[in-house]
Amino acid sequence: MSDTTRRKLLAATGAGVATGTVGLTMGPAQAGEARRSASSARESVVAYVHNHRSSEVRLMVGEREIVVHDRDLATRILNAAGGR
Amino acid sequence: MSSHREAPEMAKDPVADSTDVYAFVSPDRPNTVTLIANYIPFQAPDGGPNFNEFGDDVAYDINISNKGEAEADITYRFHFTTRVRDPKTFLYNTGPISNIRDTTWNRPQFYSLTRIKNGRSKVLAEHLPCPPVNIGPRSTPNYHHLATQAVHKVGSRRVFAGQRADAFHVDLGSVFDLGALRPFQHLHLIPMADTAGRNSLQGFNVHSLVLQVPISEVSRSGKAPQDPEQPGAVIGVWSAASRRKSRMFDKEKGAYVGHGPWEQVSRLGNPLFNEVITPMAHKDAWNARAPKGDAIFAKYVNHPELARLLPVLYPGVFPHLAAYHKARADLNAILLTGIPKGIVPGFQNFTGTVESDMLRLNLAIPPTQSPNSLGLLGGDAAGFPNGRRVGDDVVAIELRAVAGVTIPLVDPSFTPDGAAGLLTDGTTDTNGGTKATFPFLGDPGGGYQTQPGTSAVS
Repeated sequence: MSDTTRRKLLAATGAGVATGTVGLTMGPAQAGEARRSASSARESVVAYVHNHRSSEVRLMVGEREIVVHDRDLATRILNAAGGR
Repeated sequence: MSSHREAPEMAKDPVADSTDVYAFVSPDRPNTVTLIANYIPFQAPDGGPNFNEFGDDVAYDINISNKGEAEADITYRFHFTTRVRDPKTFLYNTGPISNIRDTTWNRPQFYSLTRIKNGRSKVLAEHLPCPPVNIGPRSTPNYHHLATQAVHKVGSRRVFAGQRADAFHVDLGSVFDLGALRPFQHLHLIPMADTAGRNSLQGFNVHSLVLQVPISEVSRSGKAPQDPEQPGAVIGVWSAASRRKSRMFDKEKGAYVGHGPWEQVSRLGNPLFNEVITPMAHKDAWNARAPKGDAIFAKYVNHPELARLLPVLYPGVFPHLAAYHKARADLNAILLTGIPKGIVPGFQNFTGTVESDMLRLNLAIPPTQSPNSLGLLGGDAAGFPNGRRVGDDVVAIELRAVAGVTIPLVDPSFTPDGAAGLLTDGTTDTNGGTKATFPFLGDPGGGYQTQPGTSAVS
């Protein structure tokens, strides 16, 4: 599949791709209209989904690890990651 | 060895590699205990232009257990920060360094010391300067002066962090060539003429954390124990190194950026434990675990592979050891619980029944005026396995123990083989030597002064 064709397919499935980076806020996920809270992280964050069958998402921020169980979040990450 | 490059993953990460731990009642201040943790093995002193240094992205810990539960009741944590004074030069130093604050040292390193006790952190000191490495007579003309400047008083404590001569000695070239000991190799399965041992660590430096603290600060009671048989007289000590749980490569910086909590990647209590007790397939996992969970490794202590190998590698030399099939309660005590009282008259370093690899030090036993490098085996209760002094010959001690010398302590029916009490790799410390006073490890060899070693294909 050519790069152009793949981009079209990805755009159609809702996963944004720009120079190899998947943008989680593009596509149908925009409908979620997430808003940043007052306690929202103000630094870089790493998200880790260890088991694709689980709803667990581990977030590394600063010297902390936050474990969230959020099926919707895990699914959106998995969908985006599978976009390529 | 004693834990240099001892595990597959750690061998790829020398900056976080715990190589040796020492803990002893200080001969220069007997109301204190000295704790030493070494890292970064096999430093060739001439390894410029980017000489060895502590990692800014590593947390270095010295842990102390004093409640008998094999948990870190007190942790001393070191964090390092490295500066580049002049970003326009490739040089480590732009002129002679005569003072550790000289601006000619282009890459100074500083550290903070934090004590974590009962879950609470207290920063004891910040921005303490390290010494530079020993580059040579033009760059570091009075190295001993620089090292002395890097000894800092922090309250009633003293601390040093920087390059030192590696005091550990072992004949790696021979030991890992099918377990050969050069002084006895005519008896080996593949015999060769006996020769003197060769110290494989000769000419190499390490980076050391040296901390001297009042005994009352680390003891269970908060006082200096006086009775060696008192249970609270013993502490367990181990070093560790941790990295951030996630590391992302930042292409803009050309460096890794860490996220998340610190996760242990290396640890060390008793010398050689992970090196020759733990099977290779489990060494990496062992490094990531806390000592409290070491019961799962007890089977490798109770039936050590090395004890099975000795009679095979030296046919006919260890018949008693070959015939001994009981669990090694002696090694279990030495390495995993400490020696209970009643085994060695007047001595114990028992920390409880939790099997855990820790270096165990009885704080009530004073330093020996004339130390015996064979420690407790040599009748010197102030030495390994009661803690570990810089000059203790832990290779010979552990070889002899594994060969059966210590079995009669727990099983009087056993008679050790005659050779067991003679085992040695034939090496001594041929580096900078040890000092009688803080920081006890010798000044590191210099780069300019280094003579390259020799190697041969056959």
